[in-house]
Amino acid sequence: MSWPINPRIVALGIIALTTAANAAAAERSALSNLLKAMNLSSYSSTLQPPEFSGVTAAGQKVSLAGLRGRVVLLNFWAAWCLECRSEMPMFERLHREFSLQGLAVVGINVREGPSTIRQYARELGLTFPLVMDPEGTINAAYGVIGLPTTFLIGRDGRSVALAVGPRDWASKPASAVIQALLAEPTPVKGSR
Amino acid sequence: MADYSKFESLNVQILGISSNIPFSQKTFADSLKLHYPLLSDAPDLKTIRRYGGLNPQWDMTTAQRWFFLVDLQGVVRGQWRGATNEVFPSDPILKAVREIAAKR
Repeated sequence: MSWPINPRIVALGIIALTTAANAAAAERSALSNLLKAMNLSSYSSTLQPPEFSGVTAAGQKVSLAGLRGRVVLLNFWAAWCLECRSEMPMFERLHREFSLQGLAVVGINVREGPSTIRQYARELGLTFPLVMDPEGTINAAYGVIGLPTTFLIGRDGRSVALAVGPRDWASKPASAVIQALLAEPTPVKGSR
Repeated sequence: MADYSKFESLNVQILGISSNIPFSQKTFADSLKLHYPLLSDAPDLKTIRRYGGLNPQWDMTTAQRWFFLVDLQGVVRGQWRGATNEVFPSDPILKAVREIAAKR
């Protein structure tokens, strides 16, 4: 069976596809520039972050699979790490500002006990989940060998960026990165 | 690697290979600002096994810290075994590279 082709419709279709591709390329380029402004290392599209699941010091279960569809800021830290301490209030601010829009800030502690983590959270007024990693298995899966180390994961579950060492997460580029990732479409359930 | 530039000036391509997945290797490489590629042998560990480098202390699931020097013809010209927690000195490997280069 053949269909009569209306050249005008085909031409419009091609223009629409080209425009969408150009817009996506422009968004990728804009995000890439923002990542560079924050000195964040980006990923090739093929690398997926390892799945993990754990429990916070408050007893809440957290898993990467459970955060599907959200932008995830995953920060590896420890109470003894001075540079981690300066980042924490900035993460709390991002959590309060963007969690309703779909940002999940998650801290992964490195081999410390629940009482240390709870005290640390109280001291700094942290309300985002702080997952315990007593055996260091999540740290090992992510290849973390120094603190702080922070990963950004997109709504579609792809690895977006990596920061080894502290960054200014209260800066305008930081907010712009988070907002750019939050503006990406939420994948349909089961598509990832 | 502290002596990376010495190897580079001798036209040696350094490759790291481990049992880790590429994701964790990127974190590792970025953390140490490595200038050379890391290759993942996960999950089958075929290459590490073929070089005899599986680590019995870790149930043969990781690589031992071994070094192999391969010449331009693809022949293994040297092998060194690093102690677990110490920095392996580059001098013996650099010496072997210079000897090979001198004979060409």
